[in-house]
Amino acid sequence: MSKINKAILNIENLRQTAQKDQWVNRIHPLVKLFLTIFYIAIVVSMNKYHLLGTLVLAIYPVFIFIVGEVSFKDALRRLRIVLPLVCIVGILNPFFDRTIVTYVNLGFATSKYPDGMLAVSGGFVSFFSLMIKGVLTVFASYLLIATTTIEDICYSLRKIHVPKVIVTQVLLIYRYITLLLSEVNKITQAYELRAPGQKGVAFKAWGSLVGRLLLRSMDRADEVYESMCLRGFKGDFDITRQWYGESNKNTFIGDLSFAIIWTGLILVLKLVPVSYIIGSLFI
Amino acid sequence: MSHIHIDVENVNFSYLKDKPILKDITFQAKENDSIGIIGANGVGKSTLLKLLVGLNADFSGSIRVEEIPLERKTLSKIREKIGYVFQDSDNQLFMTTVYQDVAFGPENYGLPKDEVEKRVEDALNKVKIPYLIDKPVYQLSGGEKKLVAIATILSMNPDIILMDEPSVSLDPKNRRNLINILNEFDHLKIISSHDLDFIWDTTSRVILMSEGRIVADGPTEEILRDEALLDRYGLEKPLSLTERNN
Repeated sequence: MSKINKAILNIENLRQTAQKDQWVNRIHPLVKLFLTIFYIAIVVSMNKYHLLGTLVLAIYPVFIFIVGEVSFKDALRRLRIVLPLVCIVGILNPFFDRTIVTYVNLGFATSKYPDGMLAVSGGFVSFFSLMIKGVLTVFASYLLIATTTIEDICYSLRKIHVPKVIVTQVLLIYRYITLLLSEVNKITQAYELRAPGQKGVAFKAWGSLVGRLLLRSMDRADEVYESMCLRGFKGDFDITRQWYGESNKNTFIGDLSFAIIWTGLILVLKLVPVSYIIGSLFI
Repeated sequence: MSHIHIDVENVNFSYLKDKPILKDITFQAKENDSIGIIGANGVGKSTLLKLLVGLNADFSGSIRVEEIPLERKTLSKIREKIGYVFQDSDNQLFMTTVYQDVAFGPENYGLPKDEVEKRVEDALNKVKIPYLIDKPVYQLSGGEKKLVAIATILSMNPDIILMDEPSVSLDPKNRRNLINILNEFDHLKIISSHDLDFIWDTTSRVILMSEGRIVADGPTEEILRDEALLDRYGLEKPLSLTERNN
């Protein structure tokens, strides 16, 4: 299967995961959107030397992974793109920040470490902390889209009065991405069939290929938009619709409790040094 | 005159000023009419259909749908009455599941949830695919996609159906199924197609176009049997008629 086909399949799989009839999927999208934004803000605001404190915050994505039955393997694959970027951002930390912040007991002595204690600089701690923050924020965003459909996310954005034009852009980009990918697939397949033995697309063909792709995608995007307009789409979402009802077994009280409990828990984990308290119980 | 009808008078349209696509188009379509628009490639069949639902603006002349003049401010009203089926079903189906796609129109027109569900079920029953209701759209075959695309417009209970090349990419069984469905629809329908056998089976009147003009307008029986006329405008007699003659 070609890379593009795989990408299309991944998007479709994600859509299907988001549509599962499960408790997490049925939670009001506004609650999930708020919790995700709040969680990311808290993770990002953690002290850069507070490695364990940041690690403890993993409890939220772990909970959603388990309850929502979201594939951890798929989430890990999303990290492939983001993690190297985070790595590049933090890679110089160990060189600039050489202040010793902690010692690790190796349990044995060597000629280099006669007392068996390995000194760890602030740069290393902040580098790992940054990596963990990257992983946690990607997981949180992934879990939001894996348990909420794009229509519901747009619905909640409109509920909090995000301008119509922005929300429509989000929705259309999501719809058009598969169209664009399928056009790329068709064009590259046609190219490959007439360029046997060639690896990739020749440089001189790039201009016309991309131009053609642009024109074809615009045509298709036009038709999709026309089709939406013909069926009464006016660029807005029905934000008055009832979320709770026969088809949704969740209740307002349940969702509200979920929001309050998790907001409280995340705040506690941020403000109280839970990792030290637990650690002190054992040491 | 019955309330379902379309009046097109002296319509001219062009994308570029010096290259007119449609020239002086005039015709009337009445309730229960089933009209086939035929003609060689690039004569303006699809453009004409798109004009009727306001997808191409800036035409001169007049188009009236059920006495409502086609203007920007009346588009929503007119589009509620007309169901348009695109040539490529992939462009018409943009939601994730069949249910969501068929429900998209009724939901946009603010119908209550119960009514939307009923409309979806009725539409899928009409095209005989109720079992596809929860299926993801991308898993459908070409024929199934076409039927779902038709269901998406039937769920809006249109007075008029416009179809652009509906028989393209259908296997014989799905094609026959589509013919039966169209013949059961008793309102006004306008079908543009190269497939003259399909036009023969589904329409009672034919409008023949050439170079943006209407060159013949009459009963299907009469026009599709006129080999000389069809030949003059780059078409061939339907295969089924040829076989019968033999």
